[in-house]
Amino acid sequence: MAEYDLSKTIIPYLDRHLAFPLLAHLVETSLFPVNEVQAAQYELAKGTNMFDYAVSLFEAVHPDGEVPPEFDEKRKNAVSTHERLQLEAQAVLDVIENPDVAQALRQDKNQNLQYLKDNYNLTLDQIRALYNFGQFQYSYGNYSGAADYLYHFRVLSTDTDLNTSAHWGKLASDILTGRWDVALEELNTLRDAIDSRSPAPILLPSGTAPEPALVQLHSRTWLVHWSLFVYFNHPQGRTLLLETFLSPTYLNTIQTSCPWILRYLAAAAILSRKAASLPASAAAPVSTRVRNAIREVVKVIQTEEYQYQDPMTSFLKELYIEFDFEAAQRELTLAEKVVGDDFFLGEFRDEFLDNARYLISEAYCRIHQKIDIGDLSERLNLSPEEGEKWIVNLIRETRMGADAKIDLEKNVIEINRPPLPIYQTVIEKTRGLALRTQALGVAVSRTPGQGQGQGQVGGTAAANVPKQEAQAPTVAVK
Amino acid sequence: MSRFFRKAGDSDSETESSEDESMSSGAEDISQRPVATTAKAAPSMSRFLRTAGSDSSESESEEESESESDVPVVKKRTGLPTVDDTDEEESDEEEAPGVRIKSAAEKRLDEMKATGKVMENGLKINDWVAISTEFDKLTRMIQRQHNVSEPVPAFYIQTLVTLEGSLSTAVTKEKEAKKKMNATNAKALTAVKQKLKKALKEYEVEVKRYQDDPEAFEREYTPVVAPEPIAAGKRAAAPGEEDYEADDFTTVGKGGKVMQFTAEGIFKNLQAVQEARGKKNTDRAEQIRILEKLLEVAVTSYQRIRVLLALISSRFDYNSSVTTHMPIELWLSAQREVDQLVSIVAADGNYSIQEITDDYDELIERSPATEGGVVRIRGSIISFIDRLDDEFTRSLQNIDPHGTEYVDRLKDEKVLYCTICRAQAFYEKTKQDEPLGRVIMRRLEHIYSKPNAVVQALEAAADASEIRPAMILSAQGTTSTLIHSLCVYLYKSGNSLLRTRAMLSHIYHHALHNDFYTARDMLLMSHLQESIHSADVATQILYNRTVVQLGLCAFRSGLIREAQATLQDIFTTQRVKELLAQGVHQQRYQVLTPEQEKAEKQRQLPFHMHINTELLEAAFLVSSMLVEIPLLASIDSEEMKRKAISKPFRRLLDFADRQVFTGPPESTRDHIMQASKALQDGEWEQCRDLIQSIKIWSLMPEAPTVKEMLAKRIQEQGLRTYLFTYAPHYSTLSISLLARTFSLPVRTVTSIVSKMIWSEELSASLDQSGDVIVFHRIELSRTQQLAQTVAEKLAAMVDQSEKALDIKMASTGGWGDRADGIKGDKRGEQAQERRGRGERTRGARGGARGGRGGRFSQGLGNQMPGQTSQRAG
Repeated sequence: MAEYDLSKTIIPYLDRHLAFPLLAHLVETSLFPVNEVQAAQYELAKGTNMFDYAVSLFEAVHPDGEVPPEFDEKRKNAVSTHERLQLEAQAVLDVIENPDVAQALRQDKNQNLQYLKDNYNLTLDQIRALYNFGQFQYSYGNYSGAADYLYHFRVLSTDTDLNTSAHWGKLASDILTGRWDVALEELNTLRDAIDSRSPAPILLPSGTAPEPALVQLHSRTWLVHWSLFVYFNHPQGRTLLLETFLSPTYLNTIQTSCPWILRYLAAAAILSRKAASLPASAAAPVSTRVRNAIREVVKVIQTEEYQYQDPMTSFLKELYIEFDFEAAQRELTLAEKVVGDDFFLGEFRDEFLDNARYLISEAYCRIHQKIDIGDLSERLNLSPEEGEKWIVNLIRETRMGADAKIDLEKNVIEINRPPLPIYQTVIEKTRGLALRTQALGVAVSRTPGQGQGQGQVGGTAAANVPKQEAQAPTVAVK
Repeated sequence: MSRFFRKAGDSDSETESSEDESMSSGAEDISQRPVATTAKAAPSMSRFLRTAGSDSSESESEEESESESDVPVVKKRTGLPTVDDTDEEESDEEEAPGVRIKSAAEKRLDEMKATGKVMENGLKINDWVAISTEFDKLTRMIQRQHNVSEPVPAFYIQTLVTLEGSLSTAVTKEKEAKKKMNATNAKALTAVKQKLKKALKEYEVEVKRYQDDPEAFEREYTPVVAPEPIAAGKRAAAPGEEDYEADDFTTVGKGGKVMQFTAEGIFKNLQAVQEARGKKNTDRAEQIRILEKLLEVAVTSYQRIRVLLALISSRFDYNSSVTTHMPIELWLSAQREVDQLVSIVAADGNYSIQEITDDYDELIERSPATEGGVVRIRGSIISFIDRLDDEFTRSLQNIDPHGTEYVDRLKDEKVLYCTICRAQAFYEKTKQDEPLGRVIMRRLEHIYSKPNAVVQALEAAADASEIRPAMILSAQGTTSTLIHSLCVYLYKSGNSLLRTRAMLSHIYHHALHNDFYTARDMLLMSHLQESIHSADVATQILYNRTVVQLGLCAFRSGLIREAQATLQDIFTTQRVKELLAQGVHQQRYQVLTPEQEKAEKQRQLPFHMHINTELLEAAFLVSSMLVEIPLLASIDSEEMKRKAISKPFRRLLDFADRQVFTGPPESTRDHIMQASKALQDGEWEQCRDLIQSIKIWSLMPEAPTVKEMLAKRIQEQGLRTYLFTYAPHYSTLSISLLARTFSLPVRTVTSIVSKMIWSEELSASLDQSGDVIVFHRIELSRTQQLAQTVAEKLAAMVDQSEKALDIKMASTGGWGDRADGIKGDKRGEQAQERRGRGERTRGARGGARGGRGGRFSQGLGNQMPGQTSQRAG
């Protein structure tokens, strides 16, 4: 199963500290030899200021080895740095925590700075101390402290680069402390920050060297990886993940720079099946994107098949593109294991299996008229009795009762689906046309310069659009 | 050497070389003439030319000009008839053979000449009365000439010019002279002056042309008038005479020149050559010979560089015409000399050749010591390389591609490639980025479209040379990595044109090596399809080639849909050949001007780079067949039938349908059309046989696998077509029977049927116990059908309106985003309701149709149209 493990692919896109949980998980799953993983953990820890942890890891790796002496030295250094930084930061913190100051601070950062400078003689450099101290705390594993300092820094500082950096740091700290609600909030603001920077350099011709676009792509790739922590731990995470990852920009990011994320996308799509199929309540509106998630994910999987394949994507492919139920079932058994071993997906194993089975049976029922129960159970990896129970539940749950009947004598389910009445199809087709037309009308009237009648627009469109499409890629020599 | 070659090889060598002769001797004449006497700007010729010329014997063609140009000289010397006598004798002798067979025209000409002679005599003794009468006679004769609509003989113009010259001297002399002429003579002089003025005005154009280039003018005239037998006789005489001439010339040249060609005199000679360059009467072959000699005697690097620079450019100057190519011999020597130049400069870092330098004295020897460091010389190696490459392409364009000459010429690519590599190495060493980019591009252009074996051969040759560039095949391993490293260099360089071309070449290379996905992704990520319209024609051609190659690649890899979609665009234009620069399309509404045609000809690709259009068409039509036929079978209303995916294919199919009688297939198209019909009838075996018997597949690499793939696709699409066509006639259909009929495994059949049911193409379901397909067919009444059509049309209209608005608003960017949200929400509601009902009615059937693809095209589609169309395909 080791070949399907993504830790190695994902870790380069994570912060050093974020990689620890992943490695710890690897030790548990024993996919790889334990001492190799421990060695990796040690190497990782060596670069941080978490000396005790590093030393304990060293002892685990080399049971008889002498602990390298440089740790002591480093520790001393670290302690002194800590004190120094703390002093610097404390000065600022004292000012900020003063209730008068807290009241006087406003939205405008420049104004705030001016205020602090005038009244408390606090300069930008001193504020930077907050950042440094936060970073230092993070480096020795005091994540909640780091989050605090970085938060304060961000409120005050006007330096965009450091702010972004603080953003990332805060997100990492929140993830590592496990405050998922805060992390989610942080993630969203960070996402906005990334998306808003360097507006639309994507469509520029190749001639202009879109460096900012490249930076943006990198940031997005990182964000996609980091967000996995949040999305697979937050209760609402899966639907949010679909919402984010299926938006065109992030879908592009995934397709171009990290196709392996498709596994998580596919998993999230399968996991949120229930959320999608349930009629949306007013409290938790589910967008179209999530509702059609599986369809979209399948589409992406198909196009990216040449780049990335694992049991998870193959399962969806076999089920929805090839309609090869046997192969789908085979892939499902594999996928089940992969999910179980995956750091992010591990907890969702049963839920995943449940949903995947449901998907299979749904597709199966839609295509077939008479189904052998034994056969279906086999497709679902269940014993005949369990299968029967499962199917009964399924029928009840999806209100298929009126159409599907179990014939126990022959041991088959009969599904009787009357064809859709024709008037219904017509209604289906014309539904919403009025609304859409209205929207068009509004849009047209909103731009007075182009105030044309709806009919005209329609007329020209019929003539124009196909031609434009046809012309697009060829080039006339003349 | 070159002279010999021309005689042996070229069909038109005779005229060409004799032209050279006349030109060279003409030049000598001019140099002999005292500068002051003529209005012609006598080019200052170098000394040795003059001496060489004085010894050379006169040829027949120059006789006339010789005598007339001598006239003023004689006049000044106040009449020494002996010189003229000899001239006359000679000319008489020469004319003698012509007299024997005289046509009417000849006779007139002779008559004129006789008159001219009398006039000349008159001139010598200052007898203007005689001249006046003779001139009248001459004018009358010319009038006659006009009447029989023959061109004005050169002789007449000559006479006019001469007369004018002598007249003006006579008038000035008259003024100065103490002793006046007698009255009649003076009167005659004025009369002649006036008549001459009139005549000159009348033939102004001719006179001017004559003055510019007497020989050319004369030549122009002679072929028109010269009667056949004389021409034949002359032609027979010409070679011998020429041989003699050439021999004579070179021997004399050697004697005269060797002494001059010393290392010290080099710069003077060089300057002389350079001054003569570009002038009308310069003999280019002669110049080249001089420079070759100079190169032999050049000693220092500086001298050699200077001579080489001059020599290479004069080789390129050799024929100025745009339409023909450089003689291959010349090209080869130019190539060698460029090599030599590069190796001199590369070996000695103290010399550098730059396009822009400070002014320096051309005549003194310079060395690193005198310059205090690097000696900068004006010149440009990169432009030589460019020119060399262009000339190579041009020669390939002009040589018949089916002859052995073409193949021989193609072998020269190897040396050219070596030269390019060497230049690359040189520029790498000297770190000149701009020319390095250009030279790498040249190199890339030689290898990107070639199969591995050819690239390996080229690289092996380049590898053997002493200076090697950093990127070579042996270091890189495979051709793909070599091309990758070349391209990466160009991507990083600043030049956007080079970057575009490198990108396209890279994509082309990937496509050629069946790496469809990489090629496609690169093409899409480059966003070239948006900016290619503004690129230059050559780049557009490259783009078209790349797209077409991508389509072929998709076809080879079995991605039929992609292949069809990619090739579709170029085939709908029906100008495939023209768009690929593989031939000029004939049937055009507008007629091309000669300039356009010439430009078109120039951008044609050499034959060995062509993509076979017949193969291309076969690939396109077959993939269209596989896409279109099942689609055709699936739609039942006439209305829908008009919407075709592939118009060219549909047109051909309709045409084939109208045929009353179809014979056995001959062309590729026939094969495909009959195969399509067989596929429509469900006879997949026949279809397969027809498709596989197309001969052109043999040109495709991996033909057997492609054929196999096609057979498999035909089976599958055959099954689909069969189901669509015959579903109404069945209520159930056994899967095993289908599997047998189409010899597909049961599993594949089940998979295909399931897919069709799932996507609601087929209203049916599977019965697992009986292993059969159960069809649910509802017969629609006319009203129902119409209602459905109306609904569909309405939906389509709204879609179109939205799209149109999107396009309109694209510039402001407002509506698309905002309305997308609105629409999205609304779609959400709809889909939700639909879903709800779908569940009520068991099975979410209605839900799938409207929603599928709708969101996709709005979300992704707005951002990157190219990508969706490709990816969705």
